[in-house]
Amino acid sequence: MSSKEKLYSRHMQNKKAARRISEWSKLISGMMSPEGKPEALSDTMVIDLSYANFTGIIAATLFAEAGAEVIKVEPPEGDPARLMTPYGKTIEGTGIPYLMESRNKFNITLDIYDKQDREKLLGLIKKADIIIETFEPGLMDSLGIGYRQLREVNPALIYLAITPYGQYTEKAKEMASMPWSDLTSQAESGMTALIGGLPDEPEPFNRPTRAGFYAAGYTSAVSAVCSTLMALFFKRRTNKGQMVDVATADSYSSCVGFPPTIGYVWNEVRPRYGTLDYGLCPYGFFKCKDGYVAIACFRDQDFRAALRILGLWRIEEDWKTLLDRITDDIERAKKLNREIENAVAEMTFDEIFKKFQAFSLKAARSKWRGGGMPVTTRMLRPMEVMEVEHWKVRNTFFKANDKYYGIFQVPVTGKMSQTPLRIKTISARIGEHTDLIFEKYGLT
Amino acid sequence: MPNDYFSDMAEMFEPSKTAEKSEALKGIRVLDLSHMIFGPKAANILAEHGAEVIKVEVPYQGDYWRSATYWGKYWKHSNPMWHFINHSKYFVGIDVKYPKGKELILKLAEQSDIVIENFASGTVEAWGIGYTQTRVVNPKIIYASLSTFGQSGPSRFFPGWDLLAQGASGVISSTGYPGTEHFFKVPDFYGDFYPGFFAAMMIMMALNYRETTGEGQYLDICQAEILMRSLFQFTYSSATGEELGRTGSQDPTTAPSGIFKSSDGKFFALSIGTDEQFQMLCKAMQKDDLAEDSRFSSALERLVPENAGQLNQIASDWIGSRSSEQILQIRKTCRFPLSEVEDDVQISQDNWRRQRGSVVEFDDPMYKKLVMAGSAAMMTKTPGRIKWLTRPLGYHNRYVLKTRLGLAEEEIRKLEKEHVVGTWDYRVGQRPPVYYNMEEDKLFHYDGEGDVE
Repeated sequence: MSSKEKLYSRHMQNKKAARRISEWSKLISGMMSPEGKPEALSDTMVIDLSYANFTGIIAATLFAEAGAEVIKVEPPEGDPARLMTPYGKTIEGTGIPYLMESRNKFNITLDIYDKQDREKLLGLIKKADIIIETFEPGLMDSLGIGYRQLREVNPALIYLAITPYGQYTEKAKEMASMPWSDLTSQAESGMTALIGGLPDEPEPFNRPTRAGFYAAGYTSAVSAVCSTLMALFFKRRTNKGQMVDVATADSYSSCVGFPPTIGYVWNEVRPRYGTLDYGLCPYGFFKCKDGYVAIACFRDQDFRAALRILGLWRIEEDWKTLLDRITDDIERAKKLNREIENAVAEMTFDEIFKKFQAFSLKAARSKWRGGGMPVTTRMLRPMEVMEVEHWKVRNTFFKANDKYYGIFQVPVTGKMSQTPLRIKTISARIGEHTDLIFEKYGLT
Repeated sequence: MPNDYFSDMAEMFEPSKTAEKSEALKGIRVLDLSHMIFGPKAANILAEHGAEVIKVEVPYQGDYWRSATYWGKYWKHSNPMWHFINHSKYFVGIDVKYPKGKELILKLAEQSDIVIENFASGTVEAWGIGYTQTRVVNPKIIYASLSTFGQSGPSRFFPGWDLLAQGASGVISSTGYPGTEHFFKVPDFYGDFYPGFFAAMMIMMALNYRETTGEGQYLDICQAEILMRSLFQFTYSSATGEELGRTGSQDPTTAPSGIFKSSDGKFFALSIGTDEQFQMLCKAMQKDDLAEDSRFSSALERLVPENAGQLNQIASDWIGSRSSEQILQIRKTCRFPLSEVEDDVQISQDNWRRQRGSVVEFDDPMYKKLVMAGSAAMMTKTPGRIKWLTRPLGYHNRYVLKTRLGLAEEEIRKLEKEHVVGTWDYRVGQRPPVYYNMEEDKLFHYDGEGDVE
């Protein structure tokens, strides 16, 4: 631990604690690089048949980052997801989201509508632990390679299917031909209804809008992998395979859980709340002299601390307790937000940050627990995030320097002391590993 | 002749058969030292799949999320949003401030497979219940430390939560309309829940590894970094030298795309990713000439901003001239991504989600009926399930301390007198609902005899 580091706990300052923290810090510094460490899933083989579906593609990547042998199977003309890319920009013909998710995978081509190719695919599936597919429900089955048939040739197989509405219910049957998209998954699962300007703002700013990334895609991919890993664990203990079914129209509601419960308990629709928050006030980013700064007050003592620092103590009387700051009255919430806005506008980020930090440090080190912990950070644009020293130290951005694709960066996370997630290769060329894989599994 | 595909699937996944089926994590013990959402959600996903999760809270104070609220509303003297983050867990009140409290926590850790905590980095080590102490008593432990900025790097000690992670990662600056000063966050503490799932996923990777090698390990699970992992903006900027910026409701990777208003004022999302989907859209709009137009015939051309803009206008006019009823009809056979913008009430009432089990009406002995999200992924052999809703602070003290640590009633009474072990303060969120008779609750008064469920 460097001597410059500021500790937010009084408990960290006694001698015994210092010894423990230094032992822990040693462990942490050994986790900075995955070099030479084993991989959690090095014994696992995954066949990925994802087609124009980033939930499937991302799920496959997460297995590959944990060391599984992931074989991405595409039709000879390539997965159309290769061309789903911001503004049509590609790197050597490959779209940016697709390239970013092409980690540690083997790319082979097979035409699942061709009988001979299907035989080869079956050869691979017989040896696989997990298969991922995103075709319309029943399509694989009609080709003789659905779960009902595959469990006969490989009873321990885990079959992960990802579609908008899943593999059962009347709706799934009726809507089977509906393809996946991130935007429609966000919309149908309750996310976009909650993002956007307040009702009195002009069109189109008061309309529902999207989270500015594949929010539904990543959310459903991670929950799919999570459950599939549970199935894999069950298989290790019982040698039984099973089917895992993900409906991406559930992405957001199943992840955050608020929509079903709020819809039931209140039985009324929440209006879009702009930059306000449903639970807390103030809780958002406010414009200061040189950017946007987070002001987030959860407990009363956090709020009091923020008021003192921002020079707003005169309004304390009107907003004393959490109950005074409840946000169901938009006008009241706006009023408090305006007070904060005006105060923040007069200060620079550094001023606010330093004062918040000094206050929090003092409060956290005191044995009196009522001091409040005002916390803040600067809102950053992605290009600024890449320049932050903290992420450089953590190696959050993997620098690819590929003779085919050139130089670019991709984010990576997942620090584990024994089996960290990692990027070994980024390779996305269509069919580049077909021969290699066929030879390895004797399918030539 | 084999059965119809959908009837076979319906039988394999039938939600009403869940109770008869196995649990993937049966026998796995999790010590949940976490609070608020990020950590508790990770532990909850494990509980949903059969792990025995013991949640430790500070007596008479508890997890702050117990008494949090949306719009100041409570449900049966509890926060309704507390239940779906902490169902099917055991609730124990032990104060880590006292050496005896630490000892109890370490004893529980000794019997556990997984520990989850989300205090500010380093805090558990300072207290003496961190990984370096736990691995001494339990070398096979999987110890997950969850935090906003991670356990390493110059900002590791900065406290934070959902809002800070969303702002620091680039999520907020990427959400909203170009040229405006409004930057929207993803609501409902998404920056806690989604990383919570990611944490459970990493824990499952470690558990699978331990199953074959017998080795435990330490996990540094970083909330802001998980959000960053999910943005293609960084790769875009580093490859093109440009900023992606904000695009409102339009997904810049599909065209046409956006959220459009029908003639009767309902919102619909449309997002065309592939050439095949575009052909189908042109057919539905009866504009076959568009499909032939060289500006629109291939995906990469359609995505060029000028072309995408024109297509979005055409799509907006098309949806704007149709009623929601017509659009819902078109959806059934259109073969391109087109969906309603659904709200909370619709989602809580959708028939198909109830049939699927992704929205569940659960009947609890203490709280009665509550509607909650079911599993995010369905499993044929080991489906997830809700066993009970949450319980008051310290409700399972006797059950856990007697069955797991073999303490006698007198020992527990002594610990209670010393304030090491305790229950609830009479506050919303901590206490039982007023109508509930705790005196007759056998599990709360567990006497050490038999299994009470």
